[in-house]
Amino acid sequence: MESNAKPSVVIVDDEEMVITSLRAFLRLETDFQVEGFTDAEKAVEFLHGHPVDVVVSDYLMPKMNGIQFLAKAKESQPEASRVLLTGHADKQSAIQAINEVQLFQYLEKPWENSQLLLVIQSGIERARLIRDLRDKVSELDAAHSSIKQVNKRLLQAFL
Amino acid sequence: MTAAEPSAAELRRELETSRRQLLENYKMASLGRLLAGIVHEINSPIGSILSNNQVSVRSLELLQDALREAQASGSAPSDKALDIVETLSGLASVDKIACARIASVIRGLKTFSRVDDSELRKVDIHEVLSDALRLTGCEFRRRIAVEVDFAELPEVECHPQLMNQVFVNLLINAAQAICGEGKVAVSTRLEDGWAHIAISDTGCGIKPEDQAKIFTQGFSTKPLGIGTGLGLSICKQIVEESHRGRLEFDSEPEVGTTFHIRIPVLQEKNRAE
Repeated sequence: MESNAKPSVVIVDDEEMVITSLRAFLRLETDFQVEGFTDAEKAVEFLHGHPVDVVVSDYLMPKMNGIQFLAKAKESQPEASRVLLTGHADKQSAIQAINEVQLFQYLEKPWENSQLLLVIQSGIERARLIRDLRDKVSELDAAHSSIKQVNKRLLQAFL
Repeated sequence: MTAAEPSAAELRRELETSRRQLLENYKMASLGRLLAGIVHEINSPIGSILSNNQVSVRSLELLQDALREAQASGSAPSDKALDIVETLSGLASVDKIACARIASVIRGLKTFSRVDDSELRKVDIHEVLSDALRLTGCEFRRRIAVEVDFAELPEVECHPQLMNQVFVNLLINAAQAICGEGKVAVSTRLEDGWAHIAISDTGCGIKPEDQAKIFTQGFSTKPLGIGTGLGLSICKQIVEESHRGRLEFDSEPEVGTTFHIRIPVLQEKNRAE
């Protein structure tokens, strides 16, 4: 993913009003690309084709809960930062999430806009660092194998 | 009988006080059970309203700047100004929906918090049912579809808070009986001077071996610690003793259960059974 592309955030919550509010806030304060989904299945589909930096999800949703969704998000895009935003004051679920899906942060509803923004910004930074690192490692691997190739040919030329 | 032993009248009074206390305790237990769902129900709209308010305040500042700029330079306001107005308008609509949601939950709670008056009152039983549905709606939320079929009913003479508790109890049971998605149907019919209210679910049903026992005080199929096993026995008491009605059910395991509440529309005219 291009590091000069706009940061991309996916928000999943079965309440349309939450998505509208979050989108309005992010639009006002940032230039992030924001995609909202009330249906977790559709969000999973979207993640297959579109690289994102941060995925924010509610916990209590019909059909698929937030942890199940974030697990699928992790499978599809492991480098994207996963945030659980929930009114379900169940600390056990949060702890479960932190371990199971390597949750980046957990926020309780009602959320504080400024805090949420900080979390998303850190999440974007983290996702980009990881992607850059992976790209660099790939480059190094590629460079390493081509050096090995060159070495091999050199040796063959001298033997 | 010695002078120290309580009279029959005293015993009756004590029993009545104990009964009232038990009903009150049960009402509180029900409320506690519903609270988690209610908090969750209110949390999202409040989150939206708080966020929208903050965004609105900030947007109005920006709008003010944009308009002042336009005024100072004598030109038309920028597109950004119109953009901001559109956003504010959208947020105001969301706030309206959010407030309506909170108001609805509170309305449902009000019935519960009213002090139980022992006076019989003529009420629209559909309103009592709707209040109960509103309160338990937090439990159902998109997991369970609710179907309502209200017939023409005259005002029913009853203790509305007690009937409300019965409805809430049966609706909670219905929600708990359904694993995952399902349906709850509430219907009313007038049957020869009696109001017949049916509450059915597509849940796991009541096992044949349990059916004879479900109205027994202390009987519960829920895991230890959840539920006191008082619910249905209290409902039966409320319907049959306080309202001279009947509480019955039919149930098929794996298919569902329907509870039938029948109470006379008018209490005085009802012949004692």
